[in-house]
Amino acid sequence: MTKLSPSSNSHSPSLNSPSLEIVQRWMMSVITHPGGITAGLQSDAARNELDVSPAHVEEVIHPSQRCTSLERLAVYGNAYVSRLVECLEAEFPAVRQAVGEAAFHGFAAGYLQQHPPGNYTLNTLGQHFADYLSRSRPQIDSEATQPQWTDFVVELADLERLYAEIFDGPGEEHSSLLSAEDLRAISPDKWSEIRLAVSQALRLRKYRFPVHEFITAVRQGGAAEFPRPQTTWLVVNRRDFIVRRQASPEVQWRLLQQLQQGETLGTAIETAFQGSEEATENLAQQLNIWFRNWTAAGFFRHVLEDSSTSSRHVATRRRN
Amino acid sequence: MEETFHMAPVPVDRPAESSPLTPARLGLPHLGFGVGLRPPHYQHILQHAPDVDWFEIISENYMDSQGRPRDVLMQIAGQYPIVMHGVSMSIGSTDPLNHDYLRRLKLLAESVQAEWVSDHLCWTGVAGRNSHDLLPVPLNESTLQHVVERIRIVQDVLERPLVLENPSTYVTFACSSMPEWEFLTRMSEAAHCGLLLDVNNVYVSSVNHDFDPTVYLENVPHERIVQIHLAGHTNMGTYCIDTHDGPVIDPVWSLYRQLHELTGGVSTLLEWDASIPPFPVVHAEVLKAKEHICKQRPVLSMPSSSQSRLREDAIPQPAVMITAEVE
Repeated sequence: MTKLSPSSNSHSPSLNSPSLEIVQRWMMSVITHPGGITAGLQSDAARNELDVSPAHVEEVIHPSQRCTSLERLAVYGNAYVSRLVECLEAEFPAVRQAVGEAAFHGFAAGYLQQHPPGNYTLNTLGQHFADYLSRSRPQIDSEATQPQWTDFVVELADLERLYAEIFDGPGEEHSSLLSAEDLRAISPDKWSEIRLAVSQALRLRKYRFPVHEFITAVRQGGAAEFPRPQTTWLVVNRRDFIVRRQASPEVQWRLLQQLQQGETLGTAIETAFQGSEEATENLAQQLNIWFRNWTAAGFFRHVLEDSSTSSRHVATRRRN
Repeated sequence: MEETFHMAPVPVDRPAESSPLTPARLGLPHLGFGVGLRPPHYQHILQHAPDVDWFEIISENYMDSQGRPRDVLMQIAGQYPIVMHGVSMSIGSTDPLNHDYLRRLKLLAESVQAEWVSDHLCWTGVAGRNSHDLLPVPLNESTLQHVVERIRIVQDVLERPLVLENPSTYVTFACSSMPEWEFLTRMSEAAHCGLLLDVNNVYVSSVNHDFDPTVYLENVPHERIVQIHLAGHTNMGTYCIDTHDGPVIDPVWSLYRQLHELTGGVSTLLEWDASIPPFPVVHAEVLKAKEHICKQRPVLSMPSSSQSRLREDAIPQPAVMITAEVE
């Protein structure tokens, strides 16, 4: 028997002619319930909108000749979770392979409960997944001196999300980029004062595992095994619309980090080498090689206008 | 609007039945036979420039893109007519319309010079949550009034007619008071919008809701139909799911022929969104439509029995997402 809920809200729900808003709130509560359609119908969220028991749901949803009302509602319930988990699997294939299908589905279902989608685009669906995995891992063993497997999984999720954001985010494919020739044109005595605008797509990440290699192995369909911990200084960029990543020596990564933060080249070099055992005897030659590689990889847009020694915008070449 | 044909004119069995005030297809062009643009086909299209009449895009895959999807789209838009098909307008929701979404949609339409912009008669979420599904609305007077008001707002924002598609649905509401064809008729006439008739969806819903799909097609307002969708679906035994993962089956081709005769011919597009085969296979599937409307018996179509497999993992469309390309 159906009844109006004593706790009915101001919508004054009626099973005969419920308002569109009530029907929608009721259906959303039912089909997104983690326990399934029956549990969804019995949930407070659903019964606050339309107080109908599973046995009487045909008073809201008609049965068909071959399916009950519950079976018909279940099509939407199954689709809700399946569709969103499928999207997360597509964005996080390495996490899925690392934890296995069953565990991934469990994590994904839990994530969707804590972070139900609200945006019109699925591109934002996975934006909190790494944080969720981080919060979901068991208490860290205080005795452990090495990073744990759970750290590896969180780092995988972080990098896979980063790839997705860089792939469809802003890039420099239609911009002018700084060339090695542009840099050589700058007087050596002014080098230490220049600041560089870096590519909008450039990201720097420090990981405790070589997660980039695991992800690449998964994407290429090859064998991917849980790697040994290895501090990894990763530089990720996009060029020609493809996401590119490379592990970098620490001092180079730190130098790029300083430049990305807007430091002058002189300060950036000084900071990058602080505490480093990197030899500096051939610094000029090293820097020449690094910047040649970095400009070829499209890391820099131009010399910033406010560089104290370079009031002009250094000539840049247009790519393509 | 001037009528244009981008390839061989579609055979017209008889003139479309247009009211004196409503030109056929709302005056929008007959584009011929198109294919839904999907990422696995980017490279083929850019390299081979296939002889396809037009492409339909999933609007949400491109409206915020600043990467390869948008770049590829702009290249293709320079060579082919583009129609925008959305899945997130949520025209039937009781949540407020998302004007930021509409603004972005309009910008994309302008940048690709979209022939028209379509979405679905559905709601995708409520109370700030999004199911990313095409959920059905109760078909009654209050829903009709609500939807018509929102279509008018959207059309004012977009400054063009909105085209709405009949979705595949899996439930019907006790509070509905009219068949879907009547709702579409009254909605499109009151809001002065167009219709995208998905004949596969009509078939799927007819199986799921026990109605005669031919009666449905006879009663929709033919002059307001500006586009037809074709797709494959999955037979689950006691119901069908709109999966877009295979060829079009014969009963759907039969409905297509009927609708072609009733409309006089409109732009036709094939959707293939899961288990996507190489582009030539998808293109060949939509070109079967030409054989059907030329009254040549199809020889390559898929008998309905071959899709009668039982599946437990079928996911109704849409499941639209583009994944990153990493070196």
